Amino acid sequence: MTSTTSTPLSAVDRPRSSATRAGGSTRRRMRKDLLRSRIAAWSAVVVIGAFGLLPVYWLLATALSTPESTFQFPPKLIPTDLTLDNFTALADNDQLIKYMVNSLIVASITAVLSVVVATYMGYSFSKFRYRGRRSLMHLVLASQMFPQALLLVTLYTVFSSFGMLNTYTALVLSFTTFTMPLCVWMLKGIFDTIPDALLEAASIDGASRWRTLHSIVAPLAAPGMVAAGLFAFVRGWNDFIFALTLADKEKQTLPPGLVSTYIGEFQTSWPQLMAASLVVSIPVVVAFMFLQRYLVGGMTAGSVKS
Amino acid sequence: MSTAAPPQKAPPPRQRTGGRLSNGAFALLLTAPGLALFAAIIFYPLLSALFTGFFKQDLRLPGREFVGLDNFTYWLDGDFLTILKQTLVFTVGATLVPFVLGLALALALNTGLKGSGFLRGLFLFPWVIPGVVVSFLWMWIFNANYGVLNGVLMKAGIIEESVAWLGQPGTAMLAVIVTKTWASFPWMMVMLLAGLQTVPKELHEAASMDGAGSVRRFFNVTWPQIRGVASIVLLLEFIWNFQHFDTIYVLTGGGPAGTTETFATAVYQTAFKGFDIGRATALGGLWMLLLLLLVVVYLRITERKGDA
Repeated sequence: MTSTTSTPLSAVDRPRSSATRAGGSTRRRMRKDLLRSRIAAWSAVVVIGAFGLLPVYWLLATALSTPESTFQFPPKLIPTDLTLDNFTALADNDQLIKYMVNSLIVASITAVLSVVVATYMGYSFSKFRYRGRRSLMHLVLASQMFPQALLLVTLYTVFSSFGMLNTYTALVLSFTTFTMPLCVWMLKGIFDTIPDALLEAASIDGASRWRTLHSIVAPLAAPGMVAAGLFAFVRGWNDFIFALTLADKEKQTLPPGLVSTYIGEFQTSWPQLMAASLVVSIPVVVAFMFLQRYLVGGMTAGSVKS
Repeated sequence: MSTAAPPQKAPPPRQRTGGRLSNGAFALLLTAPGLALFAAIIFYPLLSALFTGFFKQDLRLPGREFVGLDNFTYWLDGDFLTILKQTLVFTVGATLVPFVLGLALALALNTGLKGSGFLRGLFLFPWVIPGVVVSFLWMWIFNANYGVLNGVLMKAGIIEESVAWLGQPGTAMLAVIVTKTWASFPWMMVMLLAGLQTVPKELHEAASMDGAGSVRRFFNVTWPQIRGVASIVLLLEFIWNFQHFDTIYVLTGGGPAGTTETFATAVYQTAFKGFDIGRATALGGLWMLLLLLLVVVYLRITERKGDA
């Protein structure tokens, strides 16, 4: 593990020479040190930033290009014949609209189901101490790490024997396998921040445990529940493997739908695929703008901060 | 009479909470819907998968036939080691490379650059967009005939003719790792940055006054403080990559010539292209066993960090 850190390290350290130590006061040395670390920091930002953002630029550039200019080699790095045709073509594609509606339905139901179930479970984990609690929590955490591809094989046979293939139910249930553990841990973290004294006060005032949970705790935790729901929505919206396998054209969601629509046997319509890709990304990007605040907390829930 | 019977009065704390159940039973009741779901859609299917490995079963047909260890020996005598090796190459590459990039970027942003908050948000984009979009985009960048990568490298005089990055055994795995790296380094960055921000500035200043250079400051001050986050981030990413499917499936489908085949793609292809669920779940069982070891390590580490 240590060896992996040597690259960023030396990047920070490289400009420093041993000469500085010999002469000059500590303060001067520190100022030089600061300047060098600034330079190193900016180089890291520029180099890694280019790797991170140039592909995004290319996504945009292609989506705004005409098909003719796409099949040109070498490609024009700055497109000159900009067009919105690729986006308008999407609106005319009924099948794509259907995929999008499916995605909306399935991801929304998944989010609601996951949050409702996870609220009760997370509350139980957070505010009660009982035998088997830790084991249950570990089970939930570990279930997030079971291989999806394997789970899918048997989920397929289970759904098939119940005649549930190509249904929203099958998609929602299979999405829940990976959204629920996440929601449970996120919500447990949020309930942990609600002081126990508040619950005691409610019980002294005569509120039942159900009432305490529904009328006092839930409103307080509402922002966190929304965040967990958005996370679940995004995960469901992004899923590829379950939707690809458990549903056909009628009930399929956008990610596998895009593959079947655009990845052709012969020549792929890249500008249209890139435009469609951007459209698929929009809800997710918007969701994350709202989620910025919860991002680190949510991602680290149960793992880093615990 | 009845009013006089003292034992009828329940102990005050329980009555005050208003329920007839004990706290423990109430807590378990809260977990019941969740547990029922977990049992139905995760634990039952997984157990049944482990069981199916001992049968010959066609995905399209009902009925099965017990064949003992045949399905397992099919893999162990065949491609198991190749698939394991390729899975490990992908997993290690797609974990370490984004870690290094993410750490470098986190260290850079943590120096208090102007606009580092904005940059952090901007750099998150690759991680935020759907995995399938990531795969499409890089498929297009790597395209053998019209891809921008070939265009740029040829203009720069680095290559003489177009390379089929995804279509030839020598480069396909590299291309897949680059794609996955792009999608996950922002997550590493955010997590490590969160870790770095907990390191007190005074520690750095003190070390700096004592004449410690940036390398020593990193190893003696920063690293010990973020080691916890770093090890969990690495382990989680390792576990996820060990079972990663989307990128590989869309980019190469396990090809060319099986050189990017991993456990995930092999299990998937065997079940849904070869219709052989016996063999698919047998390979899945072996895969689970390896994954279980990783999960145990993960739980140990989170456990050690106190309350879990």
